[in-house]
Amino acid sequence: MNPTEEELVLQFSQPTHRAGAFSIIVRTYQERLYWHIRKMVLIHDDANDVLQNTFMKAWNGLDGFRGDSQISTWLYRIATNETLTFLTNKRMRFQNSIDDVDEVMLQNLKSDTYFNGNEIQLKLQKAILTLPEKQRLVFNMKYYDDITYDQMEAILGTSVGALKASYHFAVKKIEKYFSDED
Amino acid sequence: MKNNKNIGIEKISKELPFSVPENYFNQFALQMDEQIGFRKHLQHKNIKTWMYIAAMFIGIIVTGQVFYSINQNNATRNADNYESYVLSQVNENSLVDLYVDEAPSKSNEK
Repeated sequence: MNPTEEELVLQFSQPTHRAGAFSIIVRTYQERLYWHIRKMVLIHDDANDVLQNTFMKAWNGLDGFRGDSQISTWLYRIATNETLTFLTNKRMRFQNSIDDVDEVMLQNLKSDTYFNGNEIQLKLQKAILTLPEKQRLVFNMKYYDDITYDQMEAILGTSVGALKASYHFAVKKIEKYFSDED
Repeated sequence: MKNNKNIGIEKISKELPFSVPENYFNQFALQMDEQIGFRKHLQHKNIKTWMYIAAMFIGIIVTGQVFYSINQNNATRNADNYESYVLSQVNENSLVDLYVDEAPSKSNEK
């Protein structure tokens, strides 16, 4: 039987049980975090790198986790920050290039062995890529994972009202993209 | 794609068009265990357990061997003691008499 969240938090404080507790956390949350990251970076290899960074940041910051938020919220926050840092660095690398970073990401997605979407799904990914990064985050979390606005507020630190507005605008932009493309 | 003109995104499949390599998550978890030194810790723990079991096993064998040797010595000593005891109970003169009495009868038989 897996330990409860409270038991895991307690084990963090004991150096002899810390690695074991963290190993359970990796197994419990890795898939959810992977897909959260993957929807933003699109390519499997990039998602794998960001996921590793996320867990290493969490491992090194265990002392800073005092249990005042849920483990999942804490991990989602780290994963989100790592993803946004990764994307910012990627944009910086393309700053002096003639290539558009979003276009490059899309080309990489098309050639990624682990992308198996049809034409309409690829078009949706194109449309999502036109959104500002924070709006993409909100859209992905709501549209694909159906995360509640309260949970999103805890993870992203943005008010529920602002999140609702952000999702609403994202949907409108995507629908406009679809109609403009036709 | 004209039929997409007034498309509501809610009508598009919410299934993610991505996949991962086979056995990816199992491998990832093991890789993380290694990075945080958890597997080393586990291996160390296992080696320690096996060492305790081996030490116990050797202890049992040595103790058994010691008990066996002691028992063997006691058995030998008991046999020696019994022989000495029997000899001590026999009167030397009566033993000589017995030999003397038996000697002529044995020669007569011949």
